[in-house]
Parts: sequence; structure tokens; C-alpha cells
Amino acid sequence: MTVIVNPAGPPAAPPAETTRATLRRNFWRGVWRVLRRKPSRMAGVVIVVLFALMGVAGPLLYPAQLPRDDNALYAPPSLAHPFGTDFEGTDVLALVITGARYVLLTGLATAVITVALGTVIGLFAGFHRGRWDTVLMRLTDMNLAIPGLPLLLVLSTVWKFESPLEMGLVLGVLGWGGIARAVRSQTLSLRERGFIEAARGLGLPTRHIVGRELLPSMAPYIAMNMLIAVTGAVYAQVGLFFLGVLPFESNNWGVMLNLAVFNGGALTTPAALPYLMAPLIAILLLTLGIVLIVDAMDEIFNPRLREE
Amino acid sequence: MTAHTATPHAAARDMEAPGVRIRDLTVVYKTPAGELPAVRGVDLTLAPGTITGVVGESGSGKSTLALSLLNAVQPPGRIAAGSVEIDGLGDVLTLRGEDLRRARGREVGYVFQAAQNSLNPLKTIGKQLLDLGRSHDVEDPRALVRDARDLLARMGMDGARVLDSYQHELSGGMRQRVGIMLALVLNAKVVVLDEPTTALDMITQATILRIIREVHEERALTTLVITHDVGAVAEVADDLAVMYGGRVVEHGPVTEVLGDARHPYTRGLIRAIPRLTGDLSLARALPGRPPTLGTLPAQGCVFRERCERRMDICETDDPAAVTHDGRTVACHATGRPLELVGREELV
Amino acid sequence: MITGTGISKTFRQRGGVLGAREVPALRDVDFAVERGGAVSFIGESGSGKTTLGRIIAGLETHDAGEIVIDGVPMSSLSHRRRQPYFRRVQLIHQDPYSALNPTRTIHQALEAPLALRARQTGRPRSWIDSRAQELLSMVGIDPGYVLPRYPHQLSGGMRQRVVIARALTMDPEVLVADEAVSMIDVSLRLGILALLKDLRERLGVGVLFITHDIATARYIGDDGELYVLYRGQVVERGATEKIIADPVHPYTQSLLSAIPVLHGLERPGAERVVPKEPQGEGRLGGCLFVPRCPFSTERCEQETPVLGRDGGPGQDTEQEQACFHPRRRSVIPVGVGE
Repeated sequence: MTVIVNPAGPPAAPPAETTRATLRRNFWRGVWRVLRRKPSRMAGVVIVVLFALMGVAGPLLYPAQLPRDDNALYAPPSLAHPFGTDFEGTDVLALVITGARYVLLTGLATAVITVALGTVIGLFAGFHRGRWDTVLMRLTDMNLAIPGLPLLLVLSTVWKFESPLEMGLVLGVLGWGGIARAVRSQTLSLRERGFIEAARGLGLPTRHIVGRELLPSMAPYIAMNMLIAVTGAVYAQVGLFFLGVLPFESNNWGVMLNLAVFNGGALTTPAALPYLMAPLIAILLLTLGIVLIVDAMDEIFNPRLREE
Repeated sequence: MTAHTATPHAAARDMEAPGVRIRDLTVVYKTPAGELPAVRGVDLTLAPGTITGVVGESGSGKSTLALSLLNAVQPPGRIAAGSVEIDGLGDVLTLRGEDLRRARGREVGYVFQAAQNSLNPLKTIGKQLLDLGRSHDVEDPRALVRDARDLLARMGMDGARVLDSYQHELSGGMRQRVGIMLALVLNAKVVVLDEPTTALDMITQATILRIIREVHEERALTTLVITHDVGAVAEVADDLAVMYGGRVVEHGPVTEVLGDARHPYTRGLIRAIPRLTGDLSLARALPGRPPTLGTLPAQGCVFRERCERRMDICETDDPAAVTHDGRTVACHATGRPLELVGREELV
Repeated sequence: MITGTGISKTFRQRGGVLGAREVPALRDVDFAVERGGAVSFIGESGSGKTTLGRIIAGLETHDAGEIVIDGVPMSSLSHRRRQPYFRRVQLIHQDPYSALNPTRTIHQALEAPLALRARQTGRPRSWIDSRAQELLSMVGIDPGYVLPRYPHQLSGGMRQRVVIARALTMDPEVLVADEAVSMIDVSLRLGILALLKDLRERLGVGVLFITHDIATARYIGDDGELYVLYRGQVVERGATEKIIADPVHPYTQSLLSAIPVLHGLERPGAERVVPKEPQGEGRLGGCLFVPRCPFSTERCEQETPVLGRDGGPGQDTEQEQACFHPRRRSVIPVGVGE
């Protein structure tokens, strides 16, 4: 019985290396197709790319010490100063752009750390179950029970968080619990699926099963969590700076908010309003951009939705 | 509207089973490649008081056809053309809003595919029954519960106990019976069963099929059974319609269609059924694979790629359904009765 | 060659306040699958047939009994040493849709086990691709078409063939096919069954076929053996064709009677057996089938029948059966022409 069910088709498959390259190319082509499917996604991409550029190149556009203009304190928006100026006469837009790097770096570092810790711990607990599961989940419970803000307030008295990476590290170590929980439950349900059982029956190593079979199936989920973790981290650190519990070492959106409200009286004086609005709009836009992209994750990582 | 105080049996005997006439029904689905027909130009008449089985593989459009009977095709699907006339109700496809909602359940009962999953796991069966009654303005819930209990007892179950149960406390065969009860308790006269025996064990399947047949006769129903399983239909139905690629390719009395299949697909399908008797060497699978929406040919016969009787004309012309001696066949090679073919060849 | 003797398994369900409830899934089951042989296990859901398949494939443990693979009793080995033996038994899942990872191409799905196999047997990496193509051709699909594709791009029948090809990467001695055709389109089922039969003949692979549909068991080979399982116990056992043509246990007869008759092609058997609806859980002791058996007597409630050939006074049955009152009944359909 060697009925060839579908004789029509491309000739025999090329060697493994080229197929892998083809797969990668097809993947990115698919990503592009998915993003183009909805204008909102493209808008999200444009926004996030703009912010990324701001973070990378922003500080290079301006001198290390932003120029002040004593004659234009809290100047209203104008062509020269689209968002007006601050209490020292510095251009608000310049402050937002140069302040982006710290905020974004923190967000990114936090996201990477929460997702890495959460995924590894969740996968391990869910895949091995038993004693490991119990120990890791109690750890997770503890992590979830840590009151983040008070702890940060205490920490900030001894630690100055000069580098955004330090900030990200702290936020990340505090925030992985939720992802670990979710990844564990996903792992528990996935490991009962036929293809995982088949891989075990074939005697494939655990490394392969976890890395090649389980992880890709959870990729959309992990990617979504990562993006959302970025927004969470942005809120958290901006909040800390706004509260003024951290020293103002550099330009930062949170610092701007703090100064606008507590020094400029933006809540009562209209003159300082643009100073307050600019960082707020930046945060809103960044969140919006990320949320618009999150919508595409399911389709990007599911070959069926990607190809169609 | 029937009063719920009369026993359903008495009510049923007084009433004539309604006929159902599906005419030129076309249902399209919106896909990235444009609107593609899942059901195309289907004519099907369900004679009053009969059980018609619709048999088809995946992608044959049988479930879409069943949903059309309730005018319940969901986007991205759309009923593009045709009519579904039910005696005493008119064209279902013109019903809208409240009228449509009322017709579902009251006039047309639907037993969903895998009824084992269509029950609410958080509510007892009795609670779901009362919800159903409320949504159809049943005036006497007591009578409704009594009817439900009678129906369940008729199907060999302890009605009171079942109504107090949650879905997970019932076996697959019991859930299927509960599904049938919910479809019939409002005295629907037309009943659609979508894959009523899928995922059931053989003995349970036989029981369910027997119950369908008996309840059908006692309540004078017009029943449509949708399934992929020729055997299930053969056991229960009077008429058999075979669907392939969105078309009804053969339709007729079940014994005749099985005993003397005319369409090449029907023949191939029968030959491909694993059976207890018969020569093993004559049995064989159909070559190729069932079509999907995307792989359906735009013109010509839908079955030609797997057909052993394929001719040139099959590439270009869609064979029309020809009815002769109570049998309908849509095939260039075998569909036309001999005398007609002869006459045409003379011309 | 793989044999099992006295395989028993009990699941403990957590049940309310009263503590755990014990549900026996398998009771003292003996079986043997030979090289190139075909053994079918028939039963309803809850008969333990799936559990048995998983035990044989090493995916589930058993409480009592011994499994011997190639002469080596598995109980004599540590968990780790057992794995290479159980790898010679490959399970074909019922659902070809969940058995393949949707995020990986067919090429990737075959490459991983073949790479492992290449390492085990000291073959070069270049062997992997040619072997993948060879295996796909063997299961009847075009490698060029299938290899670069994702599972969702293939029909159910093709997927099941890919699953079989993947099982063959380990050069198994036995394939355990658990309801391997129940989710395949009707017109394609015989193709998969014929493939299993073909693999028996060509590769000498033994097939352990698990199904609720007796009729499909005929098609993996007419030389096969059939085991009928009821609530974890083998109630009838013998040559497939023999049992289908001449069943003597009332449960087997019920199963065969339940198979739909293709009116027009065949007539129903004259003595179709309709089992009773089971009331309650059944007791301890006595024949397990008593609550549903239309023919049970007092003896059936007192004593437990064991597998044997005793077919009443002075005559033996050809197959083994566990019934105190074995009797032939014509339950299967008769062809209209016959």
C-alpha cells in the first residue's frame, strides 16, 4: 500500500539547514502579514518604534545639560516649545524625549526579569509536579504576598536606584509571581496534550520537550505577559518618582510629574498644565502602543492564524 | 400554542407532522479568499412524519444545513439564497427577532452536536429546563416539569433524579437523552439532531437510536438526523440524503440508496465502511481527501477529483440533481435514468 | 514480542467525606502480541482498554502482574533501564489533531525523534532527512508535500499517517493504536486500517488495536486475535473472525448486536441481544455482567466465571470465554444477497 495521497506538491524537501532558514524567513513574513491585517496594529508598532528610537537616540539629540531660558519659565506651548517649558525654562518636549531612556530601560529590564523568572519557575513546577511544585508554588505565594510599594519605599531609603537596570531588577524580582502561577497552570494542561505525551513516549529528552514543544505553545502567552509587564513597570517607577521617594538623578517622566504637581502647582495653575500633560501623554501613548500590539500576539505565534 | 396541561402524546396524535421543504439553499462563509459556499443550491424535502438522515464527511456542509433550518447560521456565515418552508410556520429564513426565537424550541427542536457539552455545568438539568420554559413564556412550569419527567421516563431514566442532577453526574448516553428531552419538551414538531451518537459507545448508540425512532413515531415528528456515520442513519432513518462539498449528491429511501447506490461517492462511501460481514478484499478507502471550503472546485462537479467515473463534462459542468422514481442523483455519469440518456444520445 | 500476565490496575478516586473510592480498571488480564501479529481489544468506555494500552506503552503503571518485552520482565528493571524497552512499543493516539504540535512543521516533528535515533544507532545526521522521507512514503504520503507543512494544513487522515510515521522513527516492535480511526473521516478509515495491516506484513510490526467498534478490528488482518473487555476483565478471547462470526458470551453478543445494520445491504441477525440498562453499581462477587445480562441465572450471581473453553456438557468452544451459559446466537447482520 503505497498510495501517494497527494502527488501534487513541491519536490523533495531541501536539507535541514535551508529549511530552518526558510522557516525563519516565513515566520517574519507571517509576522508582517499579521501586523498589516489591522491598521490599529500598525499604529501600535509605529508608536512603540517611536518610543524605542526616543530611548536609544533621544539623549543624543540634546546637550547633556538641557538649555534653560530664564525669560520663559512655564512658557505656554509654541512652535519652539510644543509643550511649553518647565520652571527653569527648559523645553518640556526635550525633557520627555531625554527622559524616555530611563523609563524604557527600566520597563524592559523588569519585563525580561519577571518573564524569565516566572516562566522558568512556572515551567519547572508544572512539568515536574510533586515536591518541586509544592516548594516553588509556596515561594510564588510568598512573592505574591510581598507588599511591593511599602517595600520599595523602605528600600529607597538605603538604595538610590541610580541605574535603570537596578530599578528594573528590583521591580522584576518583586513581580514574577503572577506569571509563574499562570505558566504553571498552562504547563499542567499542556503536558496532558497528545503531542507532549507522544514526545515522552518517543523518549525525547526533557530539554527538548520543554524547550521545543512546551515553550512555543506558550509563546503568545509569554509575549503578551512580557509586553504588559513593560507597562506595569513604567507605571510603578513613574509612580515612585512622582511620590518623590527616589532621588532625582536624571530626567525622568515621574520626576516631571512630581515637579509639575508639587512645585508648579499644575493642579491649580494652568500655566504648568502642559508640563504635567506631556509626560502623562507619553505614558498613555506608550501603553496604547503596547496594548495595540498585544492584540496580534495570538496570531503571530499560531501558525494557522499566521498563514491564513 | 399548545397548552401544557394536555399530555404530549394525546396532543401529538391530534396533530399532523409538518413537512419541510428546503429550496435552492445557498450558505456562504466569508474567508480571506472571498465568500465561499458551504452549502450550494440544496433542494431537500422532508416528508411529514419521516426521519431523514443527512450523511456527510467533514466539510460536506451538513452542519451548516442543519443550522439553516433554524435560521441560525452565524457570521462569518450567511444564508445567501433559498428558502426553508416548514408547514404551519412559513419560510424560516424570513423570520426575525422574537418570532425566530420563539420558533426555535417551540416549532423546531434542536439537539446539539455532542449534547454532552451543550449543557450548563453550573446548573441542574431542572433549572435549565425552567430557564427554557421561562424564555418561551410557558405559563405552567409544573406541567413543563411533569412533561419533562414523562419524557425522561419514556427514555428509560428516573426523571426526578435526572432533573436534580448536574451535567457531570450523568453519563454520555444520559446527557444525550436529556438533550433530546429539552428539544422535545416544548412540543416541537420538527426535530434536528446533529451527530446524536458521536462519541457514544456502541450499545449506548443503539439505545439512543432506538429511542429516537420510538419517540419520533409516538409524537408524530418530522426528524432530521445529521451524521457522518452511515450506519447510524441506516439504522434509524426512512430517507437518506448524501452530502458532499456543500451539495446533496444523492437522496432517496434509505434501503434503496444503500442497496443500490447510484452516485459514485455514495458507492465509494458504502464500500469504505468497516463492516461485520462481507468480503474484506472488496472494501477500500476512497482515494483523495474530503474537500474544505478552500479546496472546493469553482466549477464542475465537486466530487470529480475522487471519482472513478469522471468524464470531461465533469470538469466544466456542475451536474444538476435529477429526480426519477423517487430517487435524486446529481451525477453526469449515473444520475440520468437510462431512457433519458438514450433519448439525448439519439438527438 | 510482548506479553502480559495478570495485569491489574485500580484507580483511586478522591470521593467526598468518605475518603477514596477504588475503581478497578483492569482485572487480571493476560495477553501476548507477537512479531507481526494483530491483537484487538474491544470494549466500551470504562472497560479499561485505554488504560491497558497506556500500560503497555509504558505511560502508566500497573498494580499487579508482569509485562515481558523481548523476554525481559519489566519488574526486574529500574525505571530508567525500562525506558529503552518501552520505546519499542509506540502509542498511536486517538486524536491526530492533538497528537501533533501545532507550532511545529512535520519536518520538525520527525526530525527530533530521528536525531535521537541516529545518536542511538551511530548513524550520521544526513541519515535523518532521507529516513524521514522514507517513512512518509511508507505510510503513503508524499514527503515533499507534507514535510514543510504545519499540522493544520493537513487533513485528519494525513495527520494520522504522520503520527504513524513518527511512531515508526523508533523502529518499534509493537504499535498500540488506541481508537486510531475514530476521528478520521469515514471514507478514509479503511486506508489507515489497511496501512496498519501493511506495516505488519512489511515491517513485522505487531499491532495492538484498541477500539469500541468491533467491525474495524477485521481490517487490520483476518489472522488477528480479539479480546473482549468488560469492566476490566477479558470475557471472550479468540480468533477475530471466529468471534465475530460465532460469539458465545452475552456481552460480545450485545456489542455485535449494537452495530447498526445497513438496511438494503443486510438484514439484522435473528437473535440480536439487547442488554439491560445497568441499575446501580453491581455487587462484589459473581459475574460482572449480571446487572446487564438478559440470560443470567442464580449461579451467575454467586460464582465468578473464568476464561475457559467449557461450552456446556460435552462440547468445547473454539474461543475462550468467561460465561456459565455460553450459547451461540445469530446476532450479526446477514447480507441481503446471502
